Amino acid sequence: MSLAPSEHAPAAAPAGRGTIDQTGRTRTGRRRLLTPTSVPYLLIMPAVLGFAIFKAYPIVASLWISLTTGNGADRHFTGLDNYQRLLHDPLFWTALKNTALILVVQVPLMLGLALLVALGLNSTKVWLRPLWRLGVFVPSLTGLVAAGVMFSVILNRDAGLLNWVLSLFGIDRVNWLGSPFWARIGVVLVITWHYTGYNAVIYLAGLQGIPQELYEAAKVDGAGPIRRFVSITVPQLRPILLLTVVLSTIGTLQLFDEPYVLTGGGPDNSTLTVTMYLYNNGFKYFDFGYASALAYALALIVAVLGLLQVRLMGERK
Amino acid sequence: MSHQLSRRRLLQLATASAAGLGLAACGDNGSGNAGGDGDSGRIVVWSWTTAAEGLRSVVPSFERDNPGIKVDVQDVGNPAIWDKITVGLASGGKGLADVLHIGVDYLPSYLDKFPDGIADLSEFGADKYQDAFAKGLWPTVIGTDKAAHALPWEVNPLGLFYRHDHFEKAGVDPDGISDWNGMTTAGSKILDATGVRLLGLDKTGATQDMDFFQNLMQLQDAFYFDRAGRITLASPAAVKALTIIKRLNDAGLIADTAGQGTEKRLLGQGKLATYAEAAWAVEYLASTFPEQKGKWRSMQPPAAVPRGKRNAIVNSTYLAVAGSSTRRRAAWRFIEYALTQPAQINRMFASGGVFPALDAAYDDPRFSAPHPFYGGQKVLKPFVESLSAPARASNFTGDYARALKFASDAQSQVLIKGADPADALRKAAEQLAQQTGRKLAA
Repeated sequence: MSLAPSEHAPAAAPAGRGTIDQTGRTRTGRRRLLTPTSVPYLLIMPAVLGFAIFKAYPIVASLWISLTTGNGADRHFTGLDNYQRLLHDPLFWTALKNTALILVVQVPLMLGLALLVALGLNSTKVWLRPLWRLGVFVPSLTGLVAAGVMFSVILNRDAGLLNWVLSLFGIDRVNWLGSPFWARIGVVLVITWHYTGYNAVIYLAGLQGIPQELYEAAKVDGAGPIRRFVSITVPQLRPILLLTVVLSTIGTLQLFDEPYVLTGGGPDNSTLTVTMYLYNNGFKYFDFGYASALAYALALIVAVLGLLQVRLMGERK
Repeated sequence: MSHQLSRRRLLQLATASAAGLGLAACGDNGSGNAGGDGDSGRIVVWSWTTAAEGLRSVVPSFERDNPGIKVDVQDVGNPAIWDKITVGLASGGKGLADVLHIGVDYLPSYLDKFPDGIADLSEFGADKYQDAFAKGLWPTVIGTDKAAHALPWEVNPLGLFYRHDHFEKAGVDPDGISDWNGMTTAGSKILDATGVRLLGLDKTGATQDMDFFQNLMQLQDAFYFDRAGRITLASPAAVKALTIIKRLNDAGLIADTAGQGTEKRLLGQGKLATYAEAAWAVEYLASTFPEQKGKWRSMQPPAAVPRGKRNAIVNSTYLAVAGSSTRRRAAWRFIEYALTQPAQINRMFASGGVFPALDAAYDDPRFSAPHPFYGGQKVLKPFVESLSAPARASNFTGDYARALKFASDAQSQVLIKGADPADALRKAAEQLAQQTGRKLAA
């Protein structure tokens, strides 16, 4: 009894098409589009195309513009002139100094505060924990411009809420937005208010991922709360800490919305940031070549700082 | 024939698409010359707040008189409109509306930085209107190509609004005040009698609102630049202006209006005795603070120097056509219709409060009518009369934004750190020269 052809022979290929083996190659030697190897590439293609059009092209175009000067389409190649100008521009250095100052003061303050808040929220002894967590996170849902506007009203010297509260305690009115020192404090205040909850939630997720057995073993060995925090919590949170430090550093270096709305960079440029100066040059003074050079200088600073932080914090196992 | 794409073919297609996109992006020469002179179809107009309302009031009659043209007036908002126009011009006119409402502080920059971004209206016969508008405005619409690139819509002659009740309580007669020396003395009396400060200023410079400083210079026929474009930010007139502000501040007569909406709030609370503003504020005060009806009056601004002039044009706004518009002729027809006929421009004035630049508009009785909000004072009349006096248009140039920044820094240094006005302005002028390559005036 002969076997049916279908049980022995491979199925006949449809007319005009070869059969596909496991490598995606047809018996005729031609490659097919839809194979297990090619499908992932096809799936990521929209993202890659989007990146190429909306990110890669502007990045390259911006580099070219930073090497030119001129109006509209009438641009002339001037080499590194814009970068040289940048080195001798006092306002750029003022903006960089302001940004660095905010970075050094605000990032440690905010992350320290976020860690404390996260430890509190993680404690089983806190009542109504979901409510507290919501309350801590809500500020980060507020729009950046809205936060700036809100604090500009709160911090107004003559008609602001904060000075009114201070006056109830007999404290003199503070010129929050009118003095270079207090204006910086004001900016730090807004950013801290806005992002502490966001970082606290990230830390909370990290804290909840630490195995309880580690704490129990440490307790058995007689370790107190501080010892447990230093020897277990901090090392276990190291990757999360690194993430928040790097993200916060990049975010602070790109700080724009809050000081733009709150102080406009004043008084006397005390809260002018690099991105605000960049924006002014591009969209107020229409000096696109110089603005692009500022963008590249900022990108370089971000990259160097990011690498440094990863090196310093990320290497130890 | 195979209907499936091979990998090679796919790559070829992807490369071709990417190259096409790239070329499309790179091929745009930014000249804005891709437009056309279409005479019909739908035209889009960009304006802001009440001005957009004013423009909308003209649309029904325009569409009736110009069949085939539809007008869509969009309220883009101020200051958002400047970013939108700038981005559009920088990308060769892509996405821009056909008609653009532009202020005198931006128009020279746009003409300077984007030479073909704003259409040449002389081609459509705009020059025949050069004597139709308030004195001194026509030069501001002329580009370096000597062609007209806009028609003036709004002109803002300076005035000084004051709280009649506060002045009366302090026993101050506004008619006896002719310059800012006299007003400073009056301000101290008002402060003593009522606890109300004379005026508000953004001392920190957060908003770079330098109108008051500029007004004091404009009252002396001075500005940041002279007619030749040289920097005059440290001129004696500028020093005089900043010295007046310093004296007012030292006497405790200036309230800090830094922060969003602070000035409006202080005005609403009756904590400012005067409001140094231009003609547009006539309707602004009346509509924003209706509960203060009868308490306000208006007077000519005090001179900056004894026996100095008491009239100045603060600023002006325009309607222009984008160079990239495909319906430039239709857009021009709308501008011409809206801005050169007294009936239309006064309809916009009634609807949006934009004080017209068209001379013929002032024949309308509303410009000499008593205003109930101002206690029956014929509040518009002095503004119109001030426009008939010789006036010099300020040369904003393409570098006004930078000049504004440095002037604002100088003012903040004086008000916050007690800097000397002459020193602060000299440094500001030098920085401006270094950043723009412009020469300092002697």
